[in-house]
Amino acid sequence: MPKVSVWMIRMSFLYLIFGVCIGTFLLISKSLHVASFAWNLLPIHIEFLIFGWIIQFTLGTAYWILPRYLKTKGRGKSLPAIMMVVLLNMGIVLLVISALNPDYSFLGVIGRSFQLLAVILFIKLHWQRIVSYSRAK
Amino acid sequence: MPLITRLFLKAGLVFLFFSLITGIFIQVEFISIPIFHALFWHMLMLGWITQIIMGVSLWMFPGRIREESFSNQKWLWITFGFLNSGLLLRIIAEPFIQSSTHMIWKILLISSAILQLIAIGAYLIEIWPRVKGKKKRSKKQKKESA
Repeated sequence: MPKVSVWMIRMSFLYLIFGVCIGTFLLISKSLHVASFAWNLLPIHIEFLIFGWIIQFTLGTAYWILPRYLKTKGRGKSLPAIMMVVLLNMGIVLLVISALNPDYSFLGVIGRSFQLLAVILFIKLHWQRIVSYSRAK
Repeated sequence: MPLITRLFLKAGLVFLFFSLITGIFIQVEFISIPIFHALFWHMLMLGWITQIIMGVSLWMFPGRIREESFSNQKWLWITFGFLNSGLLLRIIAEPFIQSSTHMIWKILLISSAILQLIAIGAYLIEIWPRVKGKKKRSKKQKKESA
């Protein structure tokens, strides 16, 4: 498994456990009405589990498992792949900061833009890898 | 395909089916209640997508022990049992949590949250060591064979 995939999949596991911990806290708070501030954590729960867990896991696995480039037999340049990981995770962090503090709501736009850039990099890296070997021959 | 993966995939499909049934209820105004939204999203994201990811990753990721026995797969069975029972408890209890004052619904909902948390923990215990680069894997194999 390439390093980029190892990082992405392990990061996704961390988001999964933290996201589920927040979810557990939300459900307990819902049952016992103990913490009214708990619902402020709902956007973080959603962000962690959709972008941090599901999307990051699928992108990381796709980077590993899709066919390599036919000529060079590699997965493309490593710098864009590393940038993809950094931008996706910075985007998640910025969105969490903006969700926690309304004064920094502008960070939400920057965070989502980082995620968009990460996805553009992913598409650039993988478009040519989505091929059929038999057709290429 | 190992039995546990088949169970994850089939349970995932069942949750996908019921999440869409709930999705239809949400669209019909006189049946819809607000709690259906939470159930719809959790059946879809946890019952379906997460469960499919778990089943396939446990099967496809390197380092799987091919011999299927409970002692080899105890974390997987804990994950499957706790995740599905936790989600079912939530589906049963959550619609009553605001309309009823009975303590039982609160206990069931808290139990469901804890069961799901344990399930995720068990999945990570199993899968985390299996996510590693080729070099580390071959080093470990060399050590084991020496």
